[in-house]
Amino acid sequence: MSAKESTLAHARHKIATNRLGLWLFILSDSFVFAALLVTRFYLLGDKRPHLEQWLGLIVTTVLLISSFFINRAEVQISKGNRKGFLTSTLITMLLGIAFLVGVVGFEWGLAPFGPGDGAEGAVFYMMTGMHAFHVLTGVIFLFIIYRNGLKGHYSPEKHWAVEAAANYWHFVDVVWIFFYPALYLIGRI
Amino acid sequence: MEQRIKTNELLRGVRVFIGLAVLTVVEFILGAQGAASVFLWIVALLKAGLVLVYFMHIGRLFRTEGEPE
Repeated sequence: MSAKESTLAHARHKIATNRLGLWLFILSDSFVFAALLVTRFYLLGDKRPHLEQWLGLIVTTVLLISSFFINRAEVQISKGNRKGFLTSTLITMLLGIAFLVGVVGFEWGLAPFGPGDGAEGAVFYMMTGMHAFHVLTGVIFLFIIYRNGLKGHYSPEKHWAVEAAANYWHFVDVVWIFFYPALYLIGRI
Repeated sequence: MEQRIKTNELLRGVRVFIGLAVLTVVEFILGAQGAASVFLWIVALLKAGLVLVYFMHIGRLFRTEGEPE
């Protein structure tokens, strides 16, 4: 095996190991959210919190659109389009912030109960709070890859950090895919 | 060739997004109609499956780097 082939094999092995590590992290983190989901049905059963339906639909749509844009950002950098990557990442960040404003800024203010008002409040604020915290860390992660992208750190061959940030962002979206019906749609008020 | 692959990947992203948007509308209508929760879980699982397969590329975990997707 030549030196070049050996370097290439090493790089491929490293990417595969990184990918496995990220997925193991996502799996372990998903247990936290699964526990919250189980808690919601254990404590509230067939009853759901009284929440603003339209606001729920809007923030869900915002998060779905953000997933589309981070996927677009990953495709763009893998094809060497730095400008497209930066634009899509910036849009994703802004949508992430809009989601946070929608949930923490509006929904928390509009909810007719506080975190200490029984099981309903505890479940709602814990689920949305834990998820919002992950969205916030995702926005920070996106800001880091955006800044590094501005410095030209990524190329079609070398952009593992972008793939990791994108997957983390999609994971946050998947969590909300289950939280949205659990909080807004399933059960009676 | 390279340009065509890029266009295909971008187009796939658009199709997946449209699928997710349609399923979200279906989910909202089901919820508003008070449908049985099993239907809402099915829609949620479909949406999660789309994201896992097409956006998160879970298949990459089981492929050697450099292999076509």
